[in-house]
Amino acid sequence: MKSIAFGQYYPSNSIMHRLDPRMKIIMGILYIVTCFLCKNVITFGILALSALLLIIISKIPIKIVLRSIKAIIFIMIFTAILNIFWTKGEDYELLLSWRFINIYSSGLYNAAFIVIRIVSMIIGTGIFLTYTTTPIQLTDGLEQLLSPLKVLKVPVHEFAMMMTIALRFIPTIIEETEKIMAAQKARGADFSNGSLVKRAKALIPVLIPLFISSFRRAGELATAMTCRCYRGGKGRTRLNVLRFSFKDFVALFLVIAFGTGIVLLNIYAPGYTM
Amino acid sequence: MSKLTVENVSFIYSAGTPFEVKALDGVSVNIEANRITGIIGHTGSGKSTLVQMFNGLIRPTEGRILLDGEDIWADAKKISAVRYRVGLVMQYPEYQLFEETVEADIAYGPKNMGLDEAEITQRVIESAKFVGLEEQDLKKSPFDLSGGQKRRAAIAGIMAMRPEVLVLDEPSAGLDPAGKKSIFEGIRKYAEATGAAVIIVSHSMDDMAKYCEDIIVMSHSRVAMTGKRNEIFSRGDELEAIGLGVPQMTYLMRLLAQRGINLPQDIFTVDDAEAAIIELFGGAK
Repeated sequence: MKSIAFGQYYPSNSIMHRLDPRMKIIMGILYIVTCFLCKNVITFGILALSALLLIIISKIPIKIVLRSIKAIIFIMIFTAILNIFWTKGEDYELLLSWRFINIYSSGLYNAAFIVIRIVSMIIGTGIFLTYTTTPIQLTDGLEQLLSPLKVLKVPVHEFAMMMTIALRFIPTIIEETEKIMAAQKARGADFSNGSLVKRAKALIPVLIPLFISSFRRAGELATAMTCRCYRGGKGRTRLNVLRFSFKDFVALFLVIAFGTGIVLLNIYAPGYTM
Repeated sequence: MSKLTVENVSFIYSAGTPFEVKALDGVSVNIEANRITGIIGHTGSGKSTLVQMFNGLIRPTEGRILLDGEDIWADAKKISAVRYRVGLVMQYPEYQLFEETVEADIAYGPKNMGLDEAEITQRVIESAKFVGLEEQDLKKSPFDLSGGQKRRAAIAGIMAMRPEVLVLDEPSAGLDPAGKKSIFEGIRKYAEATGAAVIIVSHSMDDMAKYCEDIIVMSHSRVAMTGKRNEIFSRGDELEAIGLGVPQMTYLMRLLAQRGINLPQDIFTVDDAEAAIIELFGGAK
């Protein structure tokens, strides 16, 4: 259970860790958009390099980043294969033809592009958001970024608080699950053998106690918060006030420049275009 | 031959990572049938880890666990059979209740064992009787019971498997004195009726003194002392050095002795103390 990759925050003191979480959210979104703007060999090459650069800047061990990529390796291979076999490009070189299978050079390009795009997106969101920003910073940043929506009566603070609480309780619930599973195993529950239906049924004695304790915990937490005079976001001040600094704007400028550069290269660079 | 033997067992959590923790370090103990054994130790001394080894929830990194002289891990596929023979009641067992009725919940273990309907019904009634649950409680939802009753229902769920070794991790934690008493009485009844080896983990020296015959003291992932109840609790200074204590009545007797009142020092329970004090005044009960 502990292997579930969550709360992937990796403590370090890189420049990326010290950026304002609001800015990192914006940069993360811009970076993902840029991933979709790439169209040809040169821009995708630059994108791959930029992902590598992000890892280096943020001082996250490459091993840890690879672990998160491993989680989606199946989807990546699947989309790559689909692209190889199903791209029809009569204008392009036919590399292989066997019965109904035709592989064009454009298919190979597309497959490579898609893989680079997915990997860069994963690395981008990881570096800008989950690896370098604690979950609490992240929800704080999100709350403040979305705070203009309060005018439209969107309960931004409440959503952010819900998210913070959810994140906080994930490890607790994992621990609780392990405990209940051990207890039911002691009564002869078998979670690893038998048919799929049987194994799914074996989880009922785990899920019911888990739900019940989650409700209980939620009730207790609500009482505890009320005792400390929590009454929603109105008039609430914060312990750590977020302030943009010069380096935040420099970072934002770099990401925007990167995106613009990609768009320009799409137009001027030659070669296969997706 | 002992019922359950722990032979030089060590256990390391997260072995091979920087977060490595040695939870048990060369632990050897013998547990006898027909006796109630208490395990005491401060938080983090390795008690709970040891207890989860008895029924194979945790596999030792080193050493062996022998049940009736046979290594329980000799065939890892048969470990679930060991779990029926060694019943483990974990901390706060009431959080594991899940069935619609108390009856069905108690029957969960025996059902997993593959017993027939008549046998299961009989065992459910029998184990409910051990822990003092009323017949009408069996039809209720476990979530409508009081805290103490829930705890007793959960313990009955393990007793219904009729284990030869019954292990209870802090069975009385968080209960009021009456609830505590009924739980321990239930455990004692089970022990007397079945001749099982019973192991109780607790922080309460008073409960230990009252219900256990043998005591195992754990400290810093090792066994610090083992012996008969009287032997262990007469070593008060050593227990205090470990960060534990002696039963309240033993303290009282020691304090009285310091003030020059001559009372026997091998007193561990309120009943013993009462008898000794009455005797001091020359009266008979």
